[in-house]
Amino acid sequence: MRALRLGQDLLVVAVTFGLLLALAFPTLWILLTSLRPEREVLSDTFRLFASTVTLDSYRTLLAKTSFGTYILNSLVVSLASTLLAVTASLLAAYAFSRRRFPLRSALLIAVVFSQLFPYVILITPIYVIFYHLKLVNTSIGLIIAYVATTVPFSVYMLLGYLDSVPRELDEAGIMDGCSTLGVIWSVILPVAWPGVAATAIYAFAQSWNEYLIALTLVTKNELKTVPVGLASFFGEYTTRWDLVMTASVLATLPTLIVFLILQRRLVSGLLAGAVKQ
Amino acid sequence: MVGTRPAPRCPGTPGAGGEDRAVRGRRLCALAEPYLLLFPALAVLALFFFGPALFNILLSFQSISLFELGRGGTWAGFANFVALVRDPLTGLALSNTVFWLTLVTVSLRIGLGLALALLLNSVVIRRWRLSGLARSLVLIPWVTPPVVAVAAWQWLLQARYGAINQILVEVGLLQDGIPFLARASTVWWAVSAIIVWRELPFVVIALLAGLQSIPGELYEAARIDGASEPRILWRVTLPLLRPVLAVVTLLITIWTFNNFLYVWLATRGGPGVKTQVLATQMYLEAFVNYRLGYGAAVGVLMGLIMLAFSIVYFNTAFKRSLGQA
Repeated sequence: MRALRLGQDLLVVAVTFGLLLALAFPTLWILLTSLRPEREVLSDTFRLFASTVTLDSYRTLLAKTSFGTYILNSLVVSLASTLLAVTASLLAAYAFSRRRFPLRSALLIAVVFSQLFPYVILITPIYVIFYHLKLVNTSIGLIIAYVATTVPFSVYMLLGYLDSVPRELDEAGIMDGCSTLGVIWSVILPVAWPGVAATAIYAFAQSWNEYLIALTLVTKNELKTVPVGLASFFGEYTTRWDLVMTASVLATLPTLIVFLILQRRLVSGLLAGAVKQ
Repeated sequence: MVGTRPAPRCPGTPGAGGEDRAVRGRRLCALAEPYLLLFPALAVLALFFFGPALFNILLSFQSISLFELGRGGTWAGFANFVALVRDPLTGLALSNTVFWLTLVTVSLRIGLGLALALLLNSVVIRRWRLSGLARSLVLIPWVTPPVVAVAAWQWLLQARYGAINQILVEVGLLQDGIPFLARASTVWWAVSAIIVWRELPFVVIALLAGLQSIPGELYEAARIDGASEPRILWRVTLPLLRPVLAVVTLLITIWTFNNFLYVWLATRGGPGVKTQVLATQMYLEAFVNYRLGYGAAVGVLMGLIMLAFSIVYFNTAFKRSLGQA
């Protein structure tokens, strides 16, 4: 009986981790390719590990291509839009959570609806509107666009967190003579920071990964972001796969780092909105 | 805007206008405050979602070129929609979008995601204390940005030097490497593999959360009653998981139906027009062929289909959480 159970256990563990390793393989393969010497990248037989580990392709990528500029652009745009989106969402979520006012339900539905409403459909009119506002080929245009795409879900996420903060805390803040912004800053933020952090990571990852808006709104090479820059490296006839994979590793690092730090919290935060029962 | 100055603060100090005016001012301020707090969020949504949505309808009735933006377009009536219906590409793009892009990848994700979630939630994995490790491994594709996912798979599927082709040739399943993304017979499976791989973790984690919210006593009661494991899965687990399954399915359906990135980067809609979907058709018409009005018309078509989806979503998921708030 014992042995049978052990056998069954091992089978389940083997199947599960076999599947999981297969899932992890493509990402692992990116990393392994990026650390390969150039002559071993295009080898005719499959080798999991190369003969040596080298950072040559990282040096070539940063010295010979504009990828360093793309990283800088992406960081500026993503950090700025995250800061603005979280600020705007926190104010809006506070109003929805703590105040009852005419049109509240309608406005809340409008916000949640825009979360579902695919901006992809609107890329044509957005381009025309941004053209007239002189926001095409500017970082500010991209920042505004990313604030808009991340605000709806951020409001929804933060609303869940704020609703769980006891109202008595607000009242204590008001008694201490805080204005509404004072209450948000010195009462809500210290308590709800895990939710705010999860929201910020969501917003950052969205902006960091976004491709279509960046593709249409920005055509100048010196303003391109990482996804558009990376996409311009592959799909050509003479693809330098070692450089594409190296760029891919660098493009993955920021999201990987924040995920590792806040994994549990982020997942529960993302799901608070999605599968609320 | 509101964030930089304390605008919603009410002028609480009486004096300048006397007690009466101060009270009235305070009441007015309390009335306006929620709207001031909402203003930044709503303003940016108006500029980006609601304004463009209305403008898109207007554009779809115009003949307007990307080069003539400064001059504006000319009224074209239903010409764009007539052309859209007559275009043989529309039917192909629509069926590709509905069947391959959405139906195939969503069902694969739900099936695989459910299997993985059940494995991760199984007594065995928990008894061996492997849940944490397993969950971290599951998330890896999701941490990989979508553009990187496409780059990685293009490299993996490359005909001569790609790892997948080399492995298949070495174990003897293939004589020569296949350019999976360039061959009409394999291209949709290859594109689906990319989408399923990168978007599977969301489904697994969401279903796992759903599974963990099922009270353990229910399983114990079923076991005491002598129910077999498959019967428990069928009669206890799946029915209780249904609400989460429904929400997840609807969400990923909406996200995938409109997806532009995977198809565009993996194949550009090719080979030929084999993998053209509505989103790539819209982009091609507006930004490659410079027919903005026509692109807007494709957008209107997609919007109408999405509207139907959204109504279903509101009726199942949102009403429930709104009722709770």
